[in-house]
Amino acid sequence: MSSETPGAGLGSDDDDMERGPLGRWVDSAIKNPDRVYRAMFYVAMLFFLVTTLFPFYWLLVLALTPNNLIANMGLVPKGFNPEVFVAMFERVPFHLYMFNSFVLGITTTVLVLLIASLAGYVFGRLRFPGKGVLMLGILAISYFPPAAFLIPLFELFTGNTAISIGMVTISTPDLFNTPAPMVFPFSALFLPLSIFILTTFYGQIPDGLEDAARVEGTTRLGALFRVIVPLSAPGVATAGVLTFISVYNEFFFSFLMNNGEADSWAPIVAGILKYQGQFDTPYNLMAAASIVGVLPVAILVIIAQERIVSGLTAGALKE
Amino acid sequence: MGDVTLEHVSKHYDDVTAVDDMNLDIDDGEFICLVGPSGCGKSTTMEMIAGLTIPSEGKVFIGDREVTNLPPKDRGVAMVFQNIALFPHMDVYDNISFGLRLRNYDKEEIERRVERAAEIVQLQGMLERMPDEMSGGQRQRVAIARAIVRNPGVFLMDEPLANLDAKLRVHMRTELQRLHKELDTTIIYVTHDQAEAMTMSDRIAVIDSGQLQQIDPPLVCYNEPANLFVAGFIGSPSMNFLDGEVTENGFVSTNIDVEFDPADLGVEPGADVTMGIRPEDVYLVGDEALVSNPSRRIDAVTDVLEPMGDEIFVYLKLAETTETDLEDTSGVANDQLLMSVAPDTDIEEDEDVTVLLDRSRVHLFDTETGEAISHGIETTVQTSGAPGTEAESDD
Repeated sequence: MSSETPGAGLGSDDDDMERGPLGRWVDSAIKNPDRVYRAMFYVAMLFFLVTTLFPFYWLLVLALTPNNLIANMGLVPKGFNPEVFVAMFERVPFHLYMFNSFVLGITTTVLVLLIASLAGYVFGRLRFPGKGVLMLGILAISYFPPAAFLIPLFELFTGNTAISIGMVTISTPDLFNTPAPMVFPFSALFLPLSIFILTTFYGQIPDGLEDAARVEGTTRLGALFRVIVPLSAPGVATAGVLTFISVYNEFFFSFLMNNGEADSWAPIVAGILKYQGQFDTPYNLMAAASIVGVLPVAILVIIAQERIVSGLTAGALKE
Repeated sequence: MGDVTLEHVSKHYDDVTAVDDMNLDIDDGEFICLVGPSGCGKSTTMEMIAGLTIPSEGKVFIGDREVTNLPPKDRGVAMVFQNIALFPHMDVYDNISFGLRLRNYDKEEIERRVERAAEIVQLQGMLERMPDEMSGGQRQRVAIARAIVRNPGVFLMDEPLANLDAKLRVHMRTELQRLHKELDTTIIYVTHDQAEAMTMSDRIAVIDSGQLQQIDPPLVCYNEPANLFVAGFIGSPSMNFLDGEVTENGFVSTNIDVEFDPADLGVEPGADVTMGIRPEDVYLVGDEALVSNPSRRIDAVTDVLEPMGDEIFVYLKLAETTETDLEDTSGVANDQLLMSVAPDTDIEEDEDVTVLLDRSRVHLFDTETGEAISHGIETTVQTSGAPGTEAESDD
């Protein structure tokens, strides 16, 4: 390095040159790139932290400010009103909405993992004609906008579709205000991602292990659930957490497939809107409810993040 | 219980026939090796016995039951895999007891059987370990314990020693033989290593291109190979082959002739035959006292020496051809002969030597079909003089 030995190389002539502060800074940056990298890291981190955490902070500001003072809000709360986190449960049974969200999320996750495991086994471990086309079909369907399905699905789930078999006409059951019209579309929408994740993982389990399990006394299904799934735990966890979070965050079907009441299986999104009264809009309660609603997912992600990261990259690194 | 029968079993893939009309009859308690080069169909044969592959045609019987379409779990077989295939998420105890737990044995019975199996393969005190904490040999023993714990009628072993280092392999080979003696269960063992097959098995089934070539005890396969393939595959280094023709006086090839009366061996003069002779049946002149039925002398030049310690392999150039294709030692090379001599033999490279063959150990094969015609020429007595005093023939 010429810069380390003064008097040698091209840079040596510049040492005596008169420089301004910028010139000196550039010079030191070139000699010490580590400092620049560190500075860039901090700038980038700050940007991401502000964009992700600031909304959260601002929700807290809103929640802590009494509702009658919420106008022209700045960066600090105009008052301190922690009772809002109790009041939000008194005004609306928000815990019931959260329970609904959890039930919808867990049911969908279990359903998706079951079906995606079977599909992942078939796509990842078996050879059959038309495999590529089927995979492509699943990928294509996953890109359809949910709005395209909404009206037909709504008609179907509210009992407005009739099927004629010969003389008998059967109309579909009215499932409005039950979990079914949410769980089924959720499962269908979030299946493709899980199928792709699990296909990658199941495909990497050596054939010998499955053969060994089958000779030892399992069926193919038994080998899948006793050997292949446990060995693909990071992949299954990733698919499960991603599905759960997607369902928890889902708005479209959650909003339209029920009447918004807690006993009609309406999830959190309906709960937050429920605070909106005819004569007032309690922004502080809504903000508090939003914070409480986000917490479970935030905790889940913090617990599972290591697995999710390893799960998402493991498939990418191999092969 | 443990006899296995394959009747006209074939397995076709899209455009490949992996196994072609295989008939096998394996007795209860027999240790049988399926040998053959890679891709010859031996593993497919084993998978069809295990039930991991369903045959395209034919029937498989284990005991008196037809099992052709039964899933592996209902066949009463256990298998040891080449890549060992221990379940990495279970400790040794859970690995060994996996099959028993699936069959809902009660806890004490499982414990008793696992203890016993661990004792047989000498794994006591390691039952808590995870597979990745064990050495290759230990893992292999766990795999064997997992197989024997269920008392299966038939053991299937698919190159179980292939991934072990040479020393451990020899050790495990003896362990397997001891195990077979102890358990007295049918063992079907797939290997491409003919030395393994020779040392361990009661009978060897030699397979090539999906077809059974010969099934016989190891020494019969060695001494009386049914065809050119078996002759070339069994034995290391491989048998020498020389292409030639049958005349009134016997076998004639470019460099070596062997006299016999074609009528005694049932061949017509004029037939194309390939002569085979194992390296240990070629002798230097001077050692002919060891040979009961020596051939005429053959002049040769030593080419390359391979001292093995207990013997020396000598590549002989027969003719004055300068180009000797060493790559092709396993096939037919009329100008080359491989000889093995005692380690204390005084021999140099590029030395002129005279050798002779043990005529009682000469094999003749039909060049066209590869089928064996005869093993050893004992019936004919040499026509001219005593072996030691005979001059170089000039046919």
